[in-house]
Amino acid sequence: MENLWNISRFILEGATISVKIYAVTLLFSIPLGMLCAIGKLTPLKPLQWLLELYTWIFRGTPLLLQLFFSYYGLQILTGIELSKEMAAYITFVLNYAAYFTEIFRAGIQSIDKGQYEAAKALGMNYSQTMKRIVIPQAIKVILPPTGNEAVTLIKDTALVSAIALADILRNAKSVVSRTASVEGYFIAAILYLIMTFVIINIFKYIEKRFAYYN
Amino acid sequence: MEAIIKVENLHKYFHSLHVLKGISLEVSKGEIVSVIGPSGSGKSTLLRCLNHLEVADKGSISFEGQFIAKADASGKAVYKNNREVLAICSNLGMVFQNFNLFPHMSVLENIIEAPVMVKGKAKAEAVRIAEELLDKVGLLEKKDAYPNQLSGGQKQRVAIARALAMEPEIMLFDEPTSALDPELIGEVLQVIKKLADEKMTMIIVTHEMNFAREISDRIIFMDDGQVVVDGAPAAIFVNPDHPRIKTFLNKVL
Repeated sequence: MENLWNISRFILEGATISVKIYAVTLLFSIPLGMLCAIGKLTPLKPLQWLLELYTWIFRGTPLLLQLFFSYYGLQILTGIELSKEMAAYITFVLNYAAYFTEIFRAGIQSIDKGQYEAAKALGMNYSQTMKRIVIPQAIKVILPPTGNEAVTLIKDTALVSAIALADILRNAKSVVSRTASVEGYFIAAILYLIMTFVIINIFKYIEKRFAYYN
Repeated sequence: MEAIIKVENLHKYFHSLHVLKGISLEVSKGEIVSVIGPSGSGKSTLLRCLNHLEVADKGSISFEGQFIAKADASGKAVYKNNREVLAICSNLGMVFQNFNLFPHMSVLENIIEAPVMVKGKAKAEAVRIAEELLDKVGLLEKKDAYPNQLSGGQKQRVAIARALAMEPEIMLFDEPTSALDPELIGEVLQVIKKLADEKMTMIIVTHEMNFAREISDRIIFMDDGQVVVDGAPAAIFVNPDHPRIKTFLNKVL
C-alpha cells in the first residue's frame, strides 16, 4: 500500500488544474457577466434577445453537457480541436458568465428608481450614473449570490474529470481504484473543504467591508 | 419681469390617463410659487416635466428662453437631444419627497459628487462649498455621517444642500415634507424659508398650506390636470371664489 503522504501529494497535484480552472473562470466570467448584464439593460432589442438566448442556453443545459460539447462535439462539427484545458476554460467561463449576467442584472434592477432620478436631476449622464451611483450600490446586493456561485464553482471544477483532465477528483478516483481503499476520497473531500472554507471567508470579509451603509 | 421657466399648453398622458391637460405657466426670476391641490391633480407630474424626469406629450417647456421641448405644428412636444436637455436641466435643482440621497456615500460625498463629476469642479473647492452649504442647513457636524444615520428631516436638509451645490437658477421642491414625521417638518421648512429670504427662485409642490401662504409670491391651485387658479396667496386663501378651491381648503385646513 502506498503511504498516505504519497497519496496526498498525488491528489494535491490535481488541485493545480482545479485551481487554474477556478481562477480563470472567476477572472473572466465576472467582467463578462457585468458587460452582459449592462447589455441586457440597454434599450437595444436585438442585443437583449441575443443575450437572452445566451443565458437561456448556458443556464438551461447541464454544464457537463456543455463541456462534452466543446471538447468532443465541436471537433466533430467544425474540426476545431481544443485542448482539454482550453475546452474547460471556455465552457466554464461562458457558463458562469451566464449566471453572473442574471445575478448582476437583478442586482442592478434592484436599485431604486429614485437614485437614477436624483442623479439625473443633478445633471449626471447615464454612464456617470451607472458608474458612480448604481453599480457601487448593486455590488453590495450581488455579493452574497456571487459568493454562492464562487463556492459552487470550486466544486463544479470536478466535472472536468469527465473529459479526463487530472484534477482533484480524477486523481482521487485513480488512487482509490489503485489502493482499493477510500482514503483518496477523504483526502479529496478535505481539499475541497479547505478551499470552500477559504472562499467563504474571503466573501465574508468583502461583505463586511460593504456593511458601512444600509 | 424675465421669465425663467415658461410652460405652454403642456399635456401628459400615462397610457390612457390624461394627467396634465394643457398647463401654461411662467415663473419669473426670484419668484416663489407654490403648487397646491388634491392628490392626483398632476402637481408632481408638472414639476417632474420641468426637469425632464417625465416626458411631456404635447406643448413647450423653456428655461431662460432655451427650449427643452418645443411644440411642433401638431402640438407634439419635440425634445432637444438628451445631452442638451441634461445640460439645461442641470440649472434646475430638485428636492424629492423621498430624499433620494446616495446611501453608499457620506453626506459630504453626496454633496460634492455632482459638482466634481458634472461641473468638473476641483475637489477642494467643491468641499469648501459643500461645507458652507452644510453650515447653512445646520448639519456641518454630520458631514462624515452616512444617510442611514440621519433623521428624515436631516436627510432632506442634506438633499437641499446637495441640490444647491450645483448652483441652480431655480429650485424645484416635490412635496419636500410629505415623508417626514410631523415634528421634523419645521426644520425643513425653515431651510426653505432661508432660501426664500435670499430670493432663490422656487417652485414648491406642497400640502403645507400655511407655509405656502406665508412664503409664496404666487399660488397655483391645480385640480384634475388643470390650473384652476394662478394668483396671489390672498386670492386663494382669503377670498376663494372658486368652488373647487373652497372644497379643497375645507378638507385640508
